Amino acid sequence: MRGVLAITRRELAGLFVGPLAWALLFIAVLLQGWLFVLYLKTSGGDVDLALRWTLGESWVFWALLILVPPLLTMRMISEESRTGILEFLLTAPVSDAAVVTGKFVAAVTFLALLWSTAFLYGLAVASLGVAPDWGALFGGWLGAVLCSALFCAVGLCASAVTSTPIVAAFGAIVVNLVFVTAPLLSELSDQLWVRRAVARVDVIDHHKAAFLNGVLDTSYGVFFAAWTAFFVFLAVRAVEARRWR
Amino acid sequence: MISVSHLTRTFGSLRALDDISFEVAKGEVVGFLGPNGAGKTTAMRVLTGYLPASAGTVRVAGFDVLRESLEVRRRIGYLPESVPLYREHRVVEMLEFQARLHAIPRKERARRIDEVLEQVGLTDRRRSLVGDLSRGLRQRAGLAVALLPQPEVLILDEPTSGLDPMQRLEVRGLIQDLRSRHTVLLSSHILPEIEAVCPRVIIVHKGRIAADGTPAELVAKLAGASHVRLEAVVGADVAAAARMLRSIAGVRDVVDRGRVGIHHQFELTCDEDLREDVGAIAAARGWALRELSWHRPTLEQIFTRIATGASDEFAPMSKPIANTPATSAANLGGTIALGGIALHVAQPSTPSMPSMPAGKSTPSTPTVPSKPARVVYNLNPFDRGATRSLSTPKAVEDPTAPSANDPGAGSSGVGDR
Repeated sequence: MRGVLAITRRELAGLFVGPLAWALLFIAVLLQGWLFVLYLKTSGGDVDLALRWTLGESWVFWALLILVPPLLTMRMISEESRTGILEFLLTAPVSDAAVVTGKFVAAVTFLALLWSTAFLYGLAVASLGVAPDWGALFGGWLGAVLCSALFCAVGLCASAVTSTPIVAAFGAIVVNLVFVTAPLLSELSDQLWVRRAVARVDVIDHHKAAFLNGVLDTSYGVFFAAWTAFFVFLAVRAVEARRWR
Repeated sequence: MISVSHLTRTFGSLRALDDISFEVAKGEVVGFLGPNGAGKTTAMRVLTGYLPASAGTVRVAGFDVLRESLEVRRRIGYLPESVPLYREHRVVEMLEFQARLHAIPRKERARRIDEVLEQVGLTDRRRSLVGDLSRGLRQRAGLAVALLPQPEVLILDEPTSGLDPMQRLEVRGLIQDLRSRHTVLLSSHILPEIEAVCPRVIIVHKGRIAADGTPAELVAKLAGASHVRLEAVVGADVAAAARMLRSIAGVRDVVDRGRVGIHHQFELTCDEDLREDVGAIAAARGWALRELSWHRPTLEQIFTRIATGASDEFAPMSKPIANTPATSAANLGGTIALGGIALHVAQPSTPSMPSMPAGKSTPSTPTVPSKPARVVYNLNPFDRGATRSLSTPKAVEDPTAPSANDPGAGSSGVGDR
């Protein structure tokens, strides 16, 4: 996987010289900070509960997760195919998989940075005298990063399929919505197989049941890794397919 | 270095490349020539491994482009037509990225970057954003990126498209500098471009190779002979004049193109430039000349014929060759043209001779040959006695030639002070 690091570095540099990354960071951090204060108030000063809400219990978290990764990844491949830079990358001595992986790692790194603002709140309340449950905080952060990784993979895949960033973002958002709203399906039906099928895609439950409690369960990790790898694989294939068109 | 055999590439039902085969040896500079949509870009993309071939094999530096793609990519510097560079990065950042992609060791990186920047003349723009560069500078930046890993093969797709004539000259010069170090394959639909840079030309048309050879070979093979055009007042006996012209050694045919005003036009089919001889005859016979020019079929005409699938009949040229010095009728008034050019050359270097007489009325100052002339022609029918040897080099290029006969000499520049 030579070249992954080079691509990742370039991609991150590209993100931060443009306004999009800063705008996303700004909005997310502002919203998160504001909501954290709100959570603290409504929970009556329960720090752990407020952090839980910040990193997965609230719908705002999932809304951000549905919207931000697609906005981040929409341009990564589609725009480059349009400007011809993809031609440059695909004739450079790195494999297609390395190109896609490099971009994927860059997107995930950015989101990991975004979610790590939760640690700031932890530090803030700790300095005020109430130490948060650091384990649960770290678990929640890791879960958030894994969820982001999955949604970034979806976004990259969409970006690899189309040549229009907006279409890519829209497609990715739809797929993300399916992931997040799938649990609602099981409430419509009592059938066992429906429940089982839903359990296979239930991102929210996998995040809440383990990571948010500070439990690092490998089977839950594998759930995310498998889905993420699947979409990254699809993205690599989609990039390869561009050569044949 | 590059070996292509029976390469075919289809897009759906469209055959973009149809059974193409050619070899390029190490160190060769080959031009791909063809109209838009001929398959040049597709061929280049297949060579770089960006597009897979539908059939046939392509080997670059001994590696199969499809199976050993990464090995091939390591050895190729590719500059696509669109010059894909990240607009939001600085030139030097783009080069660093390329260095990392090619895994150039950190120690060498800075040195290599300095080298290529120097090579393409962008050293002072290294901190500029790529998006801020003009089209020509961006082209150079793209070239720098392609050159950075010191590729054995350089593939340049339309390296001069979208550039103004000055930039085009610059890029052309750059490519000429590269010839010694890389095997270069470049494409263009501009003929003079290719003629100037490439010793070998492959003409691609509708996905097939229409011709392959040196420009001169292609001209000779495909377009037939060159011809000298003469327009002169030859008097009443046109047939006799034609016979006389036909008698010049090397003339294969004389075509009488009829009268143009008081002048008569002839086209003499010949293999080389026979203007001297024709001019001499004209002078000897006292024919008043209006035009005497040498027309060689250009690649352009060959190309047009191939592209339009015109008949094999050789169509006469209408455009004289521009880069041959002192063509056309100006040759006859040789001393005048000579004076005009010699003035520019001689004056700056001789500021101490301001009062040199600007002999306005002595148009006959000859370019005296230093060696004994083998054959001497009288070149100017109106000025008996002006002579010039055919065995001396072209007088125009002689900077020491006297400039006294130029009417403008006395009133221009240093001469007056």
